[in-house]
Amino acid sequence: MASPFLIAAGEVGGDFFHERSSGTLPCQAQSSHLFCWDWARENIDRYGTPTVQHLEIVLLSVVIGFVVAFALALIAHRTRWLQPPLLTATGVLYTIPSIAFFFLLLPVTGFGRDTAIIVLSVYTLQIIYRNTMLGLANVPDSAKDAARGMGFTDRQILWRVELPLAIPEIIAGLRIAVVSTIAIATLVVFIGAGGLGTQIYGSGNLTFPTSIVIAMAIVMGMAFLFDLGLLTVQRLTTPWRRVRAL
Amino acid sequence: MPPGQTGSQTQSQSGASSVRYEETTKLYPGATEPAVDHLSLEVPAGEICVLVGPSGCGKTTAMRMVNRTVEISSGDVLVGERSVREREPAQLRREIGYVIQQIGLFPHRTISENIGAVPQLLGWKKERIHQRSAELLSLIGLDPELGDRYPAQLSGGQQQRVGVARALAADPLVMLMDEPFGAIDPINRERLQNEFLRLQAEIQKTVLFVTHDIDEAIKMGDRIAVMREGGRVEQYATPAELLMAPANEFVEDFVGSDRALKRLALMRVSDINLWEAPLAHVGQASAEVRAKLAAPEVEIPYPLLVDSERRPLGWLSERDLDGETVPSRADSPLGPVLDRDDVMRDALADLLQGESQYAPVVDHQGRIDGVLSVEIISEFLASPDAKSDEHPAVERPHG
Repeated sequence: MASPFLIAAGEVGGDFFHERSSGTLPCQAQSSHLFCWDWARENIDRYGTPTVQHLEIVLLSVVIGFVVAFALALIAHRTRWLQPPLLTATGVLYTIPSIAFFFLLLPVTGFGRDTAIIVLSVYTLQIIYRNTMLGLANVPDSAKDAARGMGFTDRQILWRVELPLAIPEIIAGLRIAVVSTIAIATLVVFIGAGGLGTQIYGSGNLTFPTSIVIAMAIVMGMAFLFDLGLLTVQRLTTPWRRVRAL
Repeated sequence: MPPGQTGSQTQSQSGASSVRYEETTKLYPGATEPAVDHLSLEVPAGEICVLVGPSGCGKTTAMRMVNRTVEISSGDVLVGERSVREREPAQLRREIGYVIQQIGLFPHRTISENIGAVPQLLGWKKERIHQRSAELLSLIGLDPELGDRYPAQLSGGQQQRVGVARALAADPLVMLMDEPFGAIDPINRERLQNEFLRLQAEIQKTVLFVTHDIDEAIKMGDRIAVMREGGRVEQYATPAELLMAPANEFVEDFVGSDRALKRLALMRVSDINLWEAPLAHVGQASAEVRAKLAAPEVEIPYPLLVDSERRPLGWLSERDLDGETVPSRADSPLGPVLDRDDVMRDALADLLQGESQYAPVVDHQGRIDGVLSVEIISEFLASPDAKSDEHPAVERPHG
């Protein structure tokens, strides 16, 4: 059996150049040409489906990662002795090389999107967990003491005082998680999960930079927009951070 | 706050509860000695009880057992005759105002929302909370427009006022104040203390006030419990009693060697018997005035020139009396003029500042009431009379 890499590459690489412009465009002939506008104009619609796939994988991974990491953080916040082991566990998972992780899971979860989402959400755990814990730790003790003394229950202290005050750190974590997931998601092509990686790692593409440049631009634009979006959410949800102190 | 803004309509008088410690003990886990040891103490409703003592004496622990932010190991605390041990802690705490040194305003909530925190927990309607916040802002002398600001936009003093307002929001039966003015600079601390006393005269809450500063204790307390390590109360008395008759050496040391002077902070000029001034009216015959000076009970060698309303104008010298009649202008300037309502300590300070042995005391209309001298004060401090707690001097100055 051929290696998964070759299988994956074969999936996208096969007739990549043969559909429409079979080597007839002048700039396509020389691989030194970084960007071929003519090709880009003619082929831009190839990127629609991979972009949507990419988005789906990223969003699902981050949402799942966030739910799990947030739940872990809340549990660790209550149960102090769980904090060091959880930090270590999420940290160890984070250090597994991504390609190795994909292929390790292949026998278990098989080719396709599920494996991709599992790996990518595991990678977000460490960042989101750490930042949520950091945010909760930064809540001033005096605010918690006052809340408790005024008759807030533990649950009310968590949801009405601690979490609102931890929003900046939590969203900072989400921003890093989303941006890095958008980048790593280009690798899920190797386990047959599609995405914009198909336009970067297709076998023929490696000698034809235009497609790589376009895919790269879409990935970067996506990361930029998500980052900006989350930053906006953070600013809207934390108006007290923007006031001018006297 | 400016006195004009403390309108009485802004505070309902729904009352205060007494607080009673009954053999209350706190032994922290792992500790060999209790932090508070069989504390028995009663704070009558509407009074300020100050728990004072060196750090580690258990005063904060004692205070926190009232709202169960520290659990009681044995014994009990009764708030309004009801044991706090049988109350659900969160419910109990909503009936007890809580002010801490670090203030603990919620940075993410506006001033109005901070003040409305407990009413919100109690499920008040939005409009009622809003109205109550505005009411309290004016009660503590802050511009209602500050209600929409965030805590970071207020000064430390303003934040601490908001902390007090927040504690008062749901009209608590008892207030717990843990070194509430401890982090404020001395000048603002004095203002906040005065404001709180003025506020308290109006709202008459039962207040447990923790401090390590004996001067603050004397100023704020209707009663003071002096505590020492191990959570034992060495003396529980009014400020005057504490200064006049310290129960033991510990209290005496804690109160300080200047307790005689501190006593002066507890009295007003009107609390003491003044000398009568030999008065001289403009145009009066000099001989008549001289005769007055010669009387044996007159302590002051100079007559005081007063106008037709008996308002002091100045001290007359020997030379001023050389003429047939009393002149319309005095040779010596008047020096300091004291008010009957001045706090005695301030009056003494004025005398010393003016480098005078005595000064005229006037009433609200500015009419002469008598003369206060350094001699009167020192005699008062030395006399056994002063040590009787029947003396009217025990009344506490309000601001």
